[in-house]
Amino acid sequence: MKKRSVFALTILALCLIASPLSAQKVKLSVWAGDIPDDSPDHAYAKALVTGFQAKYPDIQLDYVGLGNDGFKDKLKVTMASGSGLPDIFQTWGGSVMGGYADAGQLLDLTADLKSIPGSAAAAQAVTWKGKIYGVAPFFAVAGLFVNEGIFKDNNLKVPATVEDFETVCKALLAKGIQPFACGAKDKWPTLALYMYLTNRFGGDASARAATRRLAYDSEPFVKAAQLYQKWVKAGYFGDTPLGEGYGDAQTLMFTGKAAMIVSGSWLSANFASSEMTDQKIGFYAFPALKSGSVGKVTDLMGMTDIGYAASKTAASKKDAVVKFLKYAMSSEAASAEPGRICSVPGVKAKNSITGQASAVFGGAKTVTFWWDQDLPPSVTSPLNDTIQSFFLPDTDVKKALSAYEALVTENMGPVKK
Amino acid sequence: MSQSMVEPSALAGRRRRARDRGRAPFVLLFLLPAFLFLAVFLYYPIEETFRIAMTKSTGMGSEAYVGFDNYAKLFVNEEFLAGLWHVFGWAFWSVLIQLPLAFLVAFSLTFYANKLTGPLRSIFYLSNVLPSAITAMLGRFIFAPKFGVISSLATGLGWKWLGSVDFLGNKDLAFWSVFTIATWAYTGFPIIYLMARIEQIPAELREAAELDGATGWRYAWHIVLPDLNYPLRILAVLCTVGSLKLFDLPYIMLTGGPGNATVTLGITLYRHGFINWNYGKAAAVGVVIFLLSLGFTVAQFSLGQSREGEKA
Amino acid sequence: MSQLRIRHGAAEVLATVLLVALAILVILPLLMPLMFVFKTQLEFSYHPWAWPKQIRWTNFAEAWKAVKIDQGLLNTAIVSLGAIAATLPPSALAGYIFAKYRSRATELAFYAIMVGYFVPSLMVLIPLYKMEVATRLNDTLYGLFLPMAAFGIPFWTLIYRSFFQTLPADLAEAARIDGAGHAGTFFRIMLPLAKPATILALLLVFIGAWSDYLLSLILLSSQEHFTMQLRVASFLNAYGTDRMPKYASAAVISAAPTILLYILGHKWIIRGTLAGAIKE
Repeated sequence: MKKRSVFALTILALCLIASPLSAQKVKLSVWAGDIPDDSPDHAYAKALVTGFQAKYPDIQLDYVGLGNDGFKDKLKVTMASGSGLPDIFQTWGGSVMGGYADAGQLLDLTADLKSIPGSAAAAQAVTWKGKIYGVAPFFAVAGLFVNEGIFKDNNLKVPATVEDFETVCKALLAKGIQPFACGAKDKWPTLALYMYLTNRFGGDASARAATRRLAYDSEPFVKAAQLYQKWVKAGYFGDTPLGEGYGDAQTLMFTGKAAMIVSGSWLSANFASSEMTDQKIGFYAFPALKSGSVGKVTDLMGMTDIGYAASKTAASKKDAVVKFLKYAMSSEAASAEPGRICSVPGVKAKNSITGQASAVFGGAKTVTFWWDQDLPPSVTSPLNDTIQSFFLPDTDVKKALSAYEALVTENMGPVKK
Repeated sequence: MSQSMVEPSALAGRRRRARDRGRAPFVLLFLLPAFLFLAVFLYYPIEETFRIAMTKSTGMGSEAYVGFDNYAKLFVNEEFLAGLWHVFGWAFWSVLIQLPLAFLVAFSLTFYANKLTGPLRSIFYLSNVLPSAITAMLGRFIFAPKFGVISSLATGLGWKWLGSVDFLGNKDLAFWSVFTIATWAYTGFPIIYLMARIEQIPAELREAAELDGATGWRYAWHIVLPDLNYPLRILAVLCTVGSLKLFDLPYIMLTGGPGNATVTLGITLYRHGFINWNYGKAAAVGVVIFLLSLGFTVAQFSLGQSREGEKA
Repeated sequence: MSQLRIRHGAAEVLATVLLVALAILVILPLLMPLMFVFKTQLEFSYHPWAWPKQIRWTNFAEAWKAVKIDQGLLNTAIVSLGAIAATLPPSALAGYIFAKYRSRATELAFYAIMVGYFVPSLMVLIPLYKMEVATRLNDTLYGLFLPMAAFGIPFWTLIYRSFFQTLPADLAEAARIDGAGHAGTFFRIMLPLAKPATILALLLVFIGAWSDYLLSLILLSSQEHFTMQLRVASFLNAYGTDRMPKYASAAVISAAPTILLYILGHKWIIRGTLAGAIKE
């Protein structure tokens, strides 16, 4: 009897001693867009959550996936109220993240994160005013997706110059194939092509315009807009471009009803999946102008595809936060991703399209961040509205751009001479 | 048999005030719960909205008082004015189309009571219970070019002219596409509300009308409709305020596009507050919506004041 | 006495036919997603509107698994019932006052309550969230259904007012002569007669709370408190319209309970309102 009660008491005592220790479990809350379920799109999120939890059982991870729009709205409200922030949240970096940093909501992790190996562009995306606030395990670049099967069947070559597009598109139209899919109904998909055209006509025009050394209705912007509108009017975007959402655009590509789309490398997973499409699609760098091209083929447009940053409220849990961010940048987690370009060295592309995209990214000389993520928020959605207006046949593009320039002047100051 | 009808008016006034004072504690008690909820959860946010509308704020700390500047900027802004125009149009057409439609359906269902009316009743509100994201998705399925129902059906039937109409991308049609799906979704409540009210009409009235030889139409026009005067005005208020606040459907379906063709005040508010971080401007839009709603509601109810006095 | 069975002949047939046609128009869009849920992605992309080649339940299974319905169900039930308990009493009480105790003061009070309906919810979110965090109400279920009630009270006060309005004044007189006080008159006579309003409110507040997305999204933060609708909506959002069969399956899963609830609850309404219409 005595022995058993002593034994029981010992166990009890041990439990009592152990419980405060286990109560030391650190809780980390993470808010993101992707839900860590079995869908192939979400493979990385799932690997990240399960892998991290397995590796660090003493850290309790509460990862909340809300879908992109829900996540963005919730984060905005929380940031605006200044309280109840999550420890870690998904971010695309740029000046949106910068806005949070300027408001003092973010945790400065420069010391802990600067030694993590990764691509320079990815690191730059999550750096603001010299301080590093997070990690960007996946980076997206925009390029030209081409339906190689259609091109082969019609003896067409992937456009090597911007001028080549016209010949290619005319030929495709003659065969009843929509040359470009776009998704103009949703406004933002129109940006990528415009960014490239402006760059080809004016080099670093957008960087200069953003720092107010150039106006948004100056020559490169207008020329690019005029070419864009010319292509729309010629029917290169189909006969109902504004009713076409981004999902519709992808469906057109999946079924070979459209031959090309200028969009981000995140589409690689879908285009490479036999479940989504039976077409053979490839990723190519967007060409330059045949002559007088200020921008080069190696000037790419891209930004963080998946990134994470930490908020000030996690200051007391910095160790756990850094562990999570480092794990997010580990090849162990990153290799689960089926289609995005990985900025973690040593992770191989899972399919040929991502391989092509990675190669293009690898050869980049300059990377320009998406304008609608990198400009101050007050001028970003008007930008997409302006570009979408190029799709309306009666828009005077110069006037539209001047109106945009007026808005930018109001919010960011006039062009400095 | 009302006392106040017999006594001289001055005394009646005093009696009424004494009566009011006597009832005051009861009235206050009954109104307390509602006010409590509103005071805690809504009055503070409303007050904040009015206050922030006078500032230039990113919603994250930095605030600078700018007086009526936000309002001034709004009223010359093309998007805001388009939004204003659209919500007025929306309110007008909603009331003009949804309410008569709802009345016709509600009346027919209650007048011609047969085995089908039960299930039919259940069906008409069904469209209203869907979350707006799904309603928007359904709208997309119907109106999308090439992949939508109308387009696919039309092309299948060989009607190319219909198959190539861009219901969503055409500036002039986009508003009506969203309006159609909204009507589909929102007419359900007026129908069941009117039905509940019509069924409160005493059966004797209806039998009397029948015996008098009144046809369905005359019964509807002379007896039912006047009885529904107040409910219809309530529905008009609900319709209008709902239109002023409208955000979900045009935003999810078309992001207010193409261009500004389906932009509403609600969308402008969301844009400024959640995308542009121009929280002051968003608050200003909120105040505009608020004042317009208040103005319209007061107008609606005070216009019918005298009529109601008789009813009670 | 039951309603007289009046035969209307041709008019009735015509009206019924039109109503049935209208009802079909209402239901058809709801059935559209069913065309997608059984297809594979490729099949959908090529033939969105053709009949599915075979009935495949995989999309549903995946959506069901991802959504973790069982976990959200209890939370949703608590929120819905809480919303009813918090919305109906204040609305009925206030609606009664505004209908039967009219005075300049109460008219002003009426508008003061209606202003709660005039403010767009988007505008209210940030101050509301700030306040909830400050009072530690955020990320709790009651911190969710209490504001929901606050949003619903103006609307239902208006509806209740309209129902109480039609009840004749002599009823109150008669009650007073019988010795009932103000409260007694309300609880024993007026409220039971406003049953159609109460039944309508019960059903619609429940459904509204059940399918709420925006408030749940902003005011809840940890997984264990998530409601079913929030989970499903997040799932929908995370998928985007390029994966339509999966998206449509999730949409059906999210809408089905609400639709079922409504159909079941509606039988109540019919019984309830018919009972109310029969005057002694």
